[in-house]
Amino acid sequence: MDTLNNVQSIRYFIPELILVAFAAGVIIYDLIGRQEGGRRAAHLSLAGLAAALIAVLLVGAADRSLFLGMVQLDSFAVFFKVIILITTAVTILFSMGSEELDPRTKGEYYALLLAVTLGMFLMASSTHLLMIYLSIETVSLASYILAGFLTHSPRSSEAAFKYIIYGAVASGTMLFGISLIFGLTGTGDVVQVSNVLAELFSSGGGDYQLAVLVSIIFVLAGVGYKIASVPFHMWSPDVYEGAPIPITAFLSVASKSAGFALFIRLFYSGFGSANVIESVDWSLLLAVVAALTMTVGNLAALPQQNVKRLLAYSSIAHGGYVLMGGVLLTAEGVHAILFYLIIYLFMNLGAFFVVILIAERIGSETIDGYRGLVTRAPLVAISMGIFLFSLTGIPPLSGFIGKWLLFKAVLTEEFYWLAIVGLLNSVVSLYYYVRIVKAMFLDSSDEPNPVSFSIGSRALLVVFVVPTIILGLYWTPVYQLSKASLGKILG
Amino acid sequence: MNDLTPYLVISTTLFCLGIFAVLTRRNAISILMGIELILNACNLNFAAFSRFVTPPDDISGQIISIFGIVLAAAEAAVFLAIILAIYREFSTISPDETDTLKG
Amino acid sequence: MELKPLVFYVFALLTIGSAVIVVTVRNIVHAAFSLMVTLFSIAGLYVFLQADFLAATQVIVYVGGILVLILFGVMMTSGRLDMKLKMERGQLFWGGLVTILIFALLLGVIRRTPWNVQEELGTVEGTTAQIGKAILQSEFLLPFEVASVILLIALIGAVLISRKEVREDE
Repeated sequence: MDTLNNVQSIRYFIPELILVAFAAGVIIYDLIGRQEGGRRAAHLSLAGLAAALIAVLLVGAADRSLFLGMVQLDSFAVFFKVIILITTAVTILFSMGSEELDPRTKGEYYALLLAVTLGMFLMASSTHLLMIYLSIETVSLASYILAGFLTHSPRSSEAAFKYIIYGAVASGTMLFGISLIFGLTGTGDVVQVSNVLAELFSSGGGDYQLAVLVSIIFVLAGVGYKIASVPFHMWSPDVYEGAPIPITAFLSVASKSAGFALFIRLFYSGFGSANVIESVDWSLLLAVVAALTMTVGNLAALPQQNVKRLLAYSSIAHGGYVLMGGVLLTAEGVHAILFYLIIYLFMNLGAFFVVILIAERIGSETIDGYRGLVTRAPLVAISMGIFLFSLTGIPPLSGFIGKWLLFKAVLTEEFYWLAIVGLLNSVVSLYYYVRIVKAMFLDSSDEPNPVSFSIGSRALLVVFVVPTIILGLYWTPVYQLSKASLGKILG
Repeated sequence: MNDLTPYLVISTTLFCLGIFAVLTRRNAISILMGIELILNACNLNFAAFSRFVTPPDDISGQIISIFGIVLAAAEAAVFLAIILAIYREFSTISPDETDTLKG
Repeated sequence: MELKPLVFYVFALLTIGSAVIVVTVRNIVHAAFSLMVTLFSIAGLYVFLQADFLAATQVIVYVGGILVLILFGVMMTSGRLDMKLKMERGQLFWGGLVTILIFALLLGVIRRTPWNVQEELGTVEGTTAQIGKAILQSEFLLPFEVASVILLIALIGAVLISRKEVREDE
């Protein structure tokens, strides 16, 4: 793969430059025209995202290493950039209608969202240990602020507080792990790290085993924190419950996707050299983490009354399912991860959108607020039912296909116990998802008056429902797309 | 002092003391100090490896340390801003007492 | 006895000793001042590692910036400077246990690993120019720019979050 110098790289870096320019533009614009209540700032940010999307697609997957090996532009990065852009755009749409956000500060809010997007772009494409750390910090710092953004809510400040305590410790631990790897290999470049590690193992043998294992586990702390895997998940329910709902939706989809992108790139092209895998059995380690993550997430979700918190635990569990695909370091597994992330994007954002709508119009975040929703707002209730069943993985919805691919990847490699744990977990998750469905369809509400939603909200809802259903019946294009996006990441 | 090991022992001790502070302290600012100890341990590691492991003309380890210091400053600023916000809401900065989110 | 190793071990002991005080002392202001000693001694260690620029940055940013920030935080949140730090017994026990385990593990890593130490440790005549070149003309340009974005985020974020009170009064 060609490595380009700083000047040559700039033309491949246009999407990121656009994001920075618009983030700065939004702040400056907001200073000049505050009166519009942030609406213009939102439009400007959406324009920036659209421009970045076009730039991402036009620049394409050049299969080049940019800035002397700092970041890599390949189809894998492009895949995640598109997912991240879509999620950010949807988050901005959610935020525009949101009443909990103070309109006067919305300019900064959108600028920060664009900055997080930039950080996630870098997470998806970094190939240098320093860049990996910097990108994680970009995303984290902006996320702490966004989580604590609500002016009058103690919950929001508390969310930011817990987020930053856990986050700072996790990233500090990760940096320590990175320093050990740097010391072992004398380089920060992920590909060279992989080569040097392979050499060390063939010459030094077992002497390096402990050091490599410890540093990988330390690095996993930082990555695991981003994808909220056990034991680094503790922050996630509190942060998800306290943060503004659009940010919760954003963190649960975009932050997790970017975390998986980083995880895959680091572990496949960094520590993935054959010798390293053989000497340390971390397939088993990851399998245990995946199993624990989904079990903890699902069990904790069972008694929840607050739907936002319930979805937070459910998204921890989904992190566990997705991690199943990463356990075996096979192309099939990664393919399943990419495919699942697309589907997860639609169904999870859809579910959070319903939570936003209900919170704004009915004023409730608890399951009680969903009683009798089918008579009060049939479209919203039915959509929510579809999202929840898809999250459970019930055919013919798309969540089923996604899970099926993940399980298939696990079964091909004969990790039977993991598949069984995953299956049991899906059954458990059915119970709490059905509680919401039951409240919506079978219980009756104290207030039978219908609730109306704006046309824009309903249209946006349909935008999430359609792929959730269609991809369960006809998934070939997305299947091919995610397959093509694997690129040379495993090579 | 012309040997890698003393530096690594110092940095490991700092790292562990930082972890200890984070695990046992009940005051946000003490936790922040613990985090600073962790980050300093990382920076010391990078500088030591830069001196002893990489070739003399390669100072990338030191540069990574400098970035580490920059990020520590940014993180400390945001951390303290959040601490101030928390203090206004709860009049305490102990993570145990600011606990409305539970379940 | 040679002077240089002696100075080194004084710095090493100061670093660790003051860091122990940081995490154990009950008075938070004393902890902050002890942290200052730690940070200064680490700067001293950087000098021994021939990282002159790094040592200067450590003193300016850490001692001059972050530590002052921390002291401000103490003053603005405690109201009085002698705020005592509670520590519960159970937490102390488990925290201590986990810490000792991690410490033992890491010491094992240091002992067992045959680090690839260079045979010739050249002497460096000032690293500042080298660092400048590496950042502006070489591979560290992109991280440098990203760090500037991070600082911008931190700046905006810190102002946004701590300005809340003013807005409520409007």
